[in-house]
Amino acid sequence: MSEQQTPGNPGNGQDDVTHFGFRNVPKSQKASQVAEVFHSVAGKYDLMNDLMSMGIHRLWKRFTIELSGVRPGHQVLDIAGGTGDLTMKFSDLVGPSGRVVLADINASMLQVGRSRLTDRGYAGNIEYVQADAEHLPFPDNSFNAVSIAFGLRNVTDKDQALRDMTRTLKPGGKLMVLEFSKPTNPLLSKAYDTYSFSALPLMGQLFAGDSESYKYLAESIRMHPDQDTLKGMMEEAGLVNCKYYNMTGGIVALHVGIKP
Amino acid sequence: MFPGPTLSSAASAIVEAALNRALELDPAGRQALLDALAGPVQFSITAPLVMAWTLDRVGEKVQVRSQPGESVILEITGRPVAFAALALGDDRVFADDRLHVVGDTALAHQLQRALNQLQPDWEAAMARHLGDLPAHFLGKSIRSAVHWSRNAIRTMNANVEEYLHEESRGLPGRRELEATFQDIDDLNLRTERLEARLNQLASSSGNQNDTEIL
Repeated sequence: MSEQQTPGNPGNGQDDVTHFGFRNVPKSQKASQVAEVFHSVAGKYDLMNDLMSMGIHRLWKRFTIELSGVRPGHQVLDIAGGTGDLTMKFSDLVGPSGRVVLADINASMLQVGRSRLTDRGYAGNIEYVQADAEHLPFPDNSFNAVSIAFGLRNVTDKDQALRDMTRTLKPGGKLMVLEFSKPTNPLLSKAYDTYSFSALPLMGQLFAGDSESYKYLAESIRMHPDQDTLKGMMEEAGLVNCKYYNMTGGIVALHVGIKP
Repeated sequence: MFPGPTLSSAASAIVEAALNRALELDPAGRQALLDALAGPVQFSITAPLVMAWTLDRVGEKVQVRSQPGESVILEITGRPVAFAALALGDDRVFADDRLHVVGDTALAHQLQRALNQLQPDWEAAMARHLGDLPAHFLGKSIRSAVHWSRNAIRTMNANVEEYLHEESRGLPGRRELEATFQDIDDLNLRTERLEARLNQLASSSGNQNDTEIL
């Protein structure tokens, strides 16, 4: 399968390029290309998430919420919050005395999220901010918890994003990174590869009329750092007690770190 | 390690949904339970799988987490059977240490009472789907069946007990046992007193001999 060939390494003497799926693109262009993908899928994002994960993404997100330790009155930042799945739960947890900021770099996703949450009666303790994870427009030490679910792999400079998320956390605050990762079982890995590179683009074509975006999804997952690498990156960003929880055989991992 | 985060989350989601659904059917019981949940309460199960679940209040609903809680106000530890007994209203589970409580024991009792007082109106829930008449008929039948089963179990226990004690004489009766235990206790007490008395006599006779030698 041509999509599964070894991708180029953008790090070898090509400092001004990064990967976009298996392709190398100039760093300055990645954000706009990712934006195109999400502009394209925003309308069908929830439907496609349910179809592609067979609904299991709800459990992954639920586990993230369970581990968040968010309490009434807390300030929470949900980066790359998209259609607001986590924001909705955080909003319930923080109550009227708390605040949840739903941030996304993509205006279409943010619009879908805002409409969805408003339609469900979520208002009063939620703010919507269009923001880049690498340059968050919030003061230092602002949030008790920061989450980024299925967003970090789309960020151009992940180290910078992790540093900036850490900056906005209050001391003792928790960063949670929910992201696709590397399956721990070789058999599962094979089956997952087949599913990702065959079924996902097909589903994208059938239900969202866009196979390229879902091909990018599969490729970007393969290019994302594995569990231990991401844990190391979080430690580099200044977080402590970093650990990760493999879910569904490592297809997804939740990384958690505390700001000292 | 089994069951893993995904399965645990699925289980906690099911329990949470069921609990909240049941609470919707008993507003008074819900209020009592929410009042008892002044903060996160952790239930630590010790066997056959070691796991910790947390029950907390979120607005007018309860939240069930498949993870140990942070800053819990109460931790209750024990085996699943003891938790089942607690849910069924057995308030001796704390006294006889089947469930170990860390935190405010009064709060644990309040939680136990709130759980025990829960009486969801299942008939109302069925009526929403089946209509009033079939739901009432079904509810009445189920209540009768439950009532009959409880009576049957109670009667059977009484009959078996009577047969073993009175007819087959296979086991002594409760009062006979109590009298025997009382006799054993009395004997034990008297023996201890006798031993103390003998010790006292032995020590005083030893002192006399020492004085005569001097």
